[in-house]
Amino acid sequence: MVFEDIYRDYWNKVFRICMGYVNDRDLAKDMAQETFILIWRKLPQFRNESAVGTWIYRIASNNCLRQIERSNRMPKTELPEQIEDTLEPDMEWQSRLLYKCIAELPETDRIIISLELEDVKQAEIAKITGLSESNVRVKIFRLKEKLTQKFKQYEQQY
Amino acid sequence: MSNNIDFKELWNRGKASAPDVSEIFAKANRLTRKTRCKIWWSNIILSITILLMIFIWWYYQPQLLTTKIGLILILIAIVIFLVTTNQLSPLLAKADEETDSRHFLEQVIRIKHKQEFLNKTMLTVYFILLSIGITLYFIEYASRGSLLFQVLAYGITFAWIIFNWIYIKTRTIKKQQKAINDIIARLEEVNKQFGPPTP
Repeated sequence: MVFEDIYRDYWNKVFRICMGYVNDRDLAKDMAQETFILIWRKLPQFRNESAVGTWIYRIASNNCLRQIERSNRMPKTELPEQIEDTLEPDMEWQSRLLYKCIAELPETDRIIISLELEDVKQAEIAKITGLSESNVRVKIFRLKEKLTQKFKQYEQQY
Repeated sequence: MSNNIDFKELWNRGKASAPDVSEIFAKANRLTRKTRCKIWWSNIILSITILLMIFIWWYYQPQLLTTKIGLILILIAIVIFLVTTNQLSPLLAKADEETDSRHFLEQVIRIKHKQEFLNKTMLTVYFILLSIGITLYFIEYASRGSLLFQVLAYGITFAWIIFNWIYIKTRTIKKQQKAINDIIARLEEVNKQFGPPTP
């Protein structure tokens, strides 16, 4: 596997996972870059034991969870309101709203629903998160309902 | 998806221009250089400390055994402090990002607990060794001076040790513990979201 190919094919996918996790465009870009640095360093040892996609998403998800150690210093809720609006000029409001809704979910749910929306198979999501497949199925079903509800609620406010 | 909202389509609109791949390589190299630089610095400081101790030993030719033991204890204390802060902690911080998230979180929590223990224990050991070392080192030189000098020398040294022990050590440990404990609490909370482990 050539790194450049992985980078080209997965940049936007990894970026979206990070964006779903933090809903902050600049931070998500930084996190995506960090993920690719990890991938670049670990690629020579990659043994094809799992599909390359699963491997990449594992690194991306775990790097997102690493934010827990960092965000302690700067809780997201303390960010001034207007920052959120000015950071995403090229995304339409409905899409922005979706990312906002996802980033408000509990941490692990953000990762699960992001992977689902990225069209990752549920069996793969189970391998990435360490949950059982049935558990993933149930969680995704509930998360979709919760997301729809949240989305509509916000939509009415706008 | 239900209720006519096509979340997948909205999701896929999230795009960001990818930085040139050379930027990723450059950033990775910068990070490696930074880590290497940090290790180099701690090694240089360590070597200077050891050389300084050897110089004191050689130049002042201490007669009493207490002075020699004192010097060795101070040296050990400094080495322990530098090794823990600069090399052991980052070593412990290496979690395996290629594993699944549930195991990854458990790993990070374990690492943080180890770090907490290490910080607390090593800092205590450092202070004890340094205090005993300085006290022993002073015996020879203080005994050469007048009584007033001896009283003053010991008075100031002990006051300094007590101040360190009660104020600085307690405060440093408390501050470090709070930072680590906050992170552990957050990590455990997130790990709970996964629910009980599947058999």
